[in-house]
Amino acid sequence: MTLRALLLAMMLCVLGAGVAHAQRPTGLSTGITEEEVAVTSDYRGAQLTVFGVHWQRGPARSDVVVVLRGPGEREILRRKRRILGLWINSDPVRFSEAPSFFALASTRPIGTFLSASTIANLGLDPGALARLEGGTPPDSDPAAYRRALVRLKKAAGLYRESPRGLSLEDDGAFKAPFIIPANAPVGAYKVDVFLFRNGRLVQRKPGEVVITRIGIEKTIYTAAQTWPLLYGFSAVLFALASGYAAAFAFRRR
Amino acid sequence: MSLYLPIAEMSVNALLIILISGGIGFLSGMVGVGGGFIMTPALIFMGIPPSVAVATQASQITASSFSGVIAHARRRGLDIRMGLLLSIGGVVGSTFGVWVFATMKALGQLDLLITIFYVFFLGVIGALMLWESVWALRRRARGGPPARRRRKRGWAHRLPLRVRFPQSGLYISVLPPLGIGLLTGVLAAIMGVGGGFIAVPAMIYLLRMPTNVVVGTSLFSIIIITSLVTVLQSAQTHTVDLVLAALLILGGVIGAQFGARFGARLKAEELRIILGGLVCATALRLLWDLVAHPAELFVLTR
Repeated sequence: MTLRALLLAMMLCVLGAGVAHAQRPTGLSTGITEEEVAVTSDYRGAQLTVFGVHWQRGPARSDVVVVLRGPGEREILRRKRRILGLWINSDPVRFSEAPSFFALASTRPIGTFLSASTIANLGLDPGALARLEGGTPPDSDPAAYRRALVRLKKAAGLYRESPRGLSLEDDGAFKAPFIIPANAPVGAYKVDVFLFRNGRLVQRKPGEVVITRIGIEKTIYTAAQTWPLLYGFSAVLFALASGYAAAFAFRRR
Repeated sequence: MSLYLPIAEMSVNALLIILISGGIGFLSGMVGVGGGFIMTPALIFMGIPPSVAVATQASQITASSFSGVIAHARRRGLDIRMGLLLSIGGVVGSTFGVWVFATMKALGQLDLLITIFYVFFLGVIGALMLWESVWALRRRARGGPPARRRRKRGWAHRLPLRVRFPQSGLYISVLPPLGIGLLTGVLAAIMGVGGGFIAVPAMIYLLRMPTNVVVGTSLFSIIIITSLVTVLQSAQTHTVDLVLAALLILGGVIGAQFGARFGARLKAEELRIILGGLVCATALRLLWDLVAHPAELFVLTR
């Protein structure tokens, strides 16, 4: 309930800003409900809404596209081959800068008003964002690997597209809800809001959402990465103490 | 109740994991084996990355073995000299095993390595458990003699470097215990199991140790081996998840304690048939994943 009130207040602020600039022919003003997401022990993913208002003169058709992109990651994609009757990972292909998370919301399917090259240039296609590193194995199709990357990420809930998930009100206000699942990595997420008019880019507004571990989650992760030996010894001590406690609690009298 | 695992980087149902590890702990406590070889595949089926499942399971085994060894030490069912020899072999084996684990992880073949080890060992053990229990039941039904008599000396007694083990009343070579420890260590590192299912029969049939010291001694060496595996996995692969470990320990240790009490009142053969069937089913399921035509030919590996 409080979130909704906050959202409403923020939207009113943005609307106010929009009215103040209404003398310009076209424009865009945006905001995000949560710019910092904390990963705590009960973290189950995050919900956030990118909202804003756009204004324009004249009857042209406007479209808004919002993209939420996680930090780029190195991914290794392998194709299974049947060797001695077993399906074994082989033919590795490396991608650098594959978006760890990618979500897109638009007023209508972007393919209906944007050319394929525009989609790729503006970074609206996660498969095109992933850069191939060192080529593909002989007699294999790089496009098939790209498609597989997108398919697997979609299956894991890490690439999401809602081609009509952005509702555009008559007064120019819009909002795009996003869900970031718990398996999406922490880091800085880029938000991009695009305003198109008759299929031409008019304005682009960047933003950022940061997902960070806090509390015990942060302590454990940092310890495991920074002091791995100490972390290992603590895990052993913890196990021994628990075992001793159990033996003590359950000892036969 | 959902809980975020900091190393696996995923959200899990904490209650479900405690219940499953408690159930498997109960079953293993009744039969008197470690539950690692069922718990690790169960975690993998639940979607925990295999590397995290194997490495974290090692610390669960440390805890349950430690709670078990205390009782054995109290009634002097522990051969420290033999346990140390097994542990020396285990240190070499687990160091080698963690190295293989890290190498295969880098090559993207870790899941294959873990699955093949599981299919082989679960298949063999499950089949042996079923075979032995069925025989025991048939023998009992016919009212025949309870068991064959063991030979007094085996090949393990003829090897060089012989040492006296007063607690076990043995005078045997150090090589077989070192070898058993080595194999146990490799299995602990690669499968996330204690290896008791290999070590205990080997100590009884190869070393001819008296049964009253076998379990305590094997638990003693398992504690040392799995502790080392936990430290090495933490250092080399960063895959030990403390939050997951806490859940597994909570369920597994308590389950095993209740299982051990409950099991004392039940017949071992029937239990072994249930466990053997469970182990065989797990092996078949894993084998199916290896040989069946996959729906998705591509796979992402880090």
